[in-house]
Amino acid sequence: MDFDFSDEQEQLRDAVRKWVDKAYTFDARRSVVAAGGFSASAYQAMAELGLCGLYVQDTYGGMNMGPNEGMVAMEELGRGMVMEPLVHTWMCTSVLQAFAPDDLKTEWLPRLAGGDAMLVLAHHEKGTRYDLHKCQATAKQVGTAWHINGHKSLVPAGDHAHGFLVPATVNGKQALFLVPRSAATDTTHAYLAQDGSRMSELHLKDASAHLISLDGLAALQLAVDVGATALCAEAVGLMEKTLTLTVEYMNTRKQFGVAIASFQALRHRVADMKMQLELGRSMSYYASLKLNAPAAERSLAVSRAKFQIGRSTRHVGQEAVQLHGGIGVTDEYIVSHCFKRLTQIELSLGDSLHHLGEVSAQMQETAGVFA
Amino acid sequence: MDLAFTPEEQAFREEVRTWVHAHLPATLSHKVHNALRLTREDMQAWAKILGTKGWLGYSWPEQFGGPGWNAVQKHLFEEECALAGAPRVVPFGPVMVAPVIMAFGSPEQQHRFLPGIASGDVWWSQGYSEPGSGSDLASLKTRAERVGDKFIVNGQKTWTTLAQFGEWIFCLVRTSSEGKPQTGISFLLIDMKSKGVSVRPIKLLDGECEVNEVWFDNVEVPSENLVGEENKGWNYAKFLLAHERTNIADVNRAKRELERLKRIAKTEGVWDDLRFRDEIAKLEVDVIALEMMVLRVLSAEKSGKQSLDIAGLLKIRGSEIQQRYSELMMMAAGPFSLPFIQEAMDAGWQGDHVGAAHCAPLASTYFNMRKTTIYGGSNEVQRNIVAQTVLG
Repeated sequence: MDFDFSDEQEQLRDAVRKWVDKAYTFDARRSVVAAGGFSASAYQAMAELGLCGLYVQDTYGGMNMGPNEGMVAMEELGRGMVMEPLVHTWMCTSVLQAFAPDDLKTEWLPRLAGGDAMLVLAHHEKGTRYDLHKCQATAKQVGTAWHINGHKSLVPAGDHAHGFLVPATVNGKQALFLVPRSAATDTTHAYLAQDGSRMSELHLKDASAHLISLDGLAALQLAVDVGATALCAEAVGLMEKTLTLTVEYMNTRKQFGVAIASFQALRHRVADMKMQLELGRSMSYYASLKLNAPAAERSLAVSRAKFQIGRSTRHVGQEAVQLHGGIGVTDEYIVSHCFKRLTQIELSLGDSLHHLGEVSAQMQETAGVFA
Repeated sequence: MDLAFTPEEQAFREEVRTWVHAHLPATLSHKVHNALRLTREDMQAWAKILGTKGWLGYSWPEQFGGPGWNAVQKHLFEEECALAGAPRVVPFGPVMVAPVIMAFGSPEQQHRFLPGIASGDVWWSQGYSEPGSGSDLASLKTRAERVGDKFIVNGQKTWTTLAQFGEWIFCLVRTSSEGKPQTGISFLLIDMKSKGVSVRPIKLLDGECEVNEVWFDNVEVPSENLVGEENKGWNYAKFLLAHERTNIADVNRAKRELERLKRIAKTEGVWDDLRFRDEIAKLEVDVIALEMMVLRVLSAEKSGKQSLDIAGLLKIRGSEIQQRYSELMMMAAGPFSLPFIQEAMDAGWQGDHVGAAHCAPLASTYFNMRKTTIYGGSNEVQRNIVAQTVLG
């Protein structure tokens, strides 16, 4: 039982923080949003920091690091509200490594680790919400090739990605495929998300695909667990940033002749924000430390963590806006952007109600609490 | 970073578990697991069993006869005791006054008082709160006037937990009205058999008498019972609070009670009611998050590398969770938690239970648990403390 970070982990944190502070300022981020919500140069810079290949084995040119390093890096990226879909890179590389045949690994992993290619998970369909079991897209084998038909939504930076991980059913059972960008019929319907990042629709009509695994559900579950764990850490970094902004504002803003930080009604709300931050941080640690556990244990831990993070992000985001008063609801000031990103984190890869449902359904009758 | 306890820590846990299972009387664990009434004899019995092993003062350093355990070992010991259904160690002697005597008491005081605390023979009480001094403890008025080689104590303490059983009481008393209120307070050890000490139990909302008023009417206390220096008592009280870091969260008991809640929910037929079950699931996540916070504090103490000042958060969250599980247990029993049959909370009662036997104490426990967000520094005071660390 040890929650100290190693020197190497602290060095990684410093490196990512330095890059965020220098290259991903609030003004720089605003420019990225204005330019469509995706910056290829920022993504490339993250690759140069080793972040794209963080989970990739060294034989494929990656850093071969684990969930705790991932957590450290995501906390710092969260602080800067970095929008490029590194979380999807981690989901896709983790799934390829665990499930894909060797030729796919050799073809994709080195390019992914180097940032020369970007893959994103395209699993949302209309009506599926967060249920991984629901999938309308279908795949059929044509000779040695696979063809996919379907329509996926909410694909992060889909028009910039070099390919997609796509669940589709084969004889009613879900399998997972890799669809190269060139095979997609249309990714041009792109739009901004609430947090300023980029999303797009993905239309697949007899799209040529590579089979990753016929056990698509297990692969998809791994992807979502890796992604949700990264989102938890991102949320912790951003909640900490949001609380810091709120504290600075309350110590500066004067009403009735004194700093509003002197009012007990407001001070108690700050104490409650700190509570939600620390509960969230505790559960982010928990998810990271369970990410390499057997699948069922891992998924339950991630659901427990994401449920807490959902509650925490909503509380911290809403309270930060309230404590800022009018300035909190303007576009000009940063805190509304923190609030929107925190909200988007709650709604991504399973919201609080979804994960509560998972925790509830899998709850053990006796113990159920670890250790 | 590592979630697992080390092999040494796991071996330590096994050792404690084996010993507790061999020595904890089943009559006691039955009462604890079913929230039945514990008598003074019950609590003393377990204290003395621990005392024989040298584990009643489980947080004590070796130089005072304790086991010299680190923060993690103490936690594991508390957890094994809680999960096995051991009565809580009444903290006033071994956990609260003993560390103050060790740190600030004279060698004579250490020699005189520590053995009786370590063996479980002497029951201590804590005399802090007064009718006019709750959250604002430093405003306390109980006076101790030095006359020759004695203090003459006059005043009243209140909310004194289990003082009806007490033999000695450690008190904060006013020895000076100069300067700030905090600077005129002294830490005094008082024999409750002294002439002029009277105790009146206060009946609480659950019908039980868990706390008392304690009066001091010209009570003579030898000056050798003053701990440390006169007028420095506030510092010693603060030291004691700093000593109380993680166990105020009571996460180990919460784990045990969560299991009891699940058992009750199952018997009462609400385990499969999704609306109810989701509430248990939320509480389960709350308990895990609390446990992770506790472990983070322990890890920080163990390594000494990072400081983690979240004791206020632990108190707030731990007390809220205690209230929540007692609330959900009552709700699980529904209308069958309503009969108020006090004898039904005694082990071995032969009368007719209304509903299942486990229903009898549920509402009383729920009512009783409202104390947790009030005592030990109310949760509002804790929020002030947390806000101070965050906002300055």
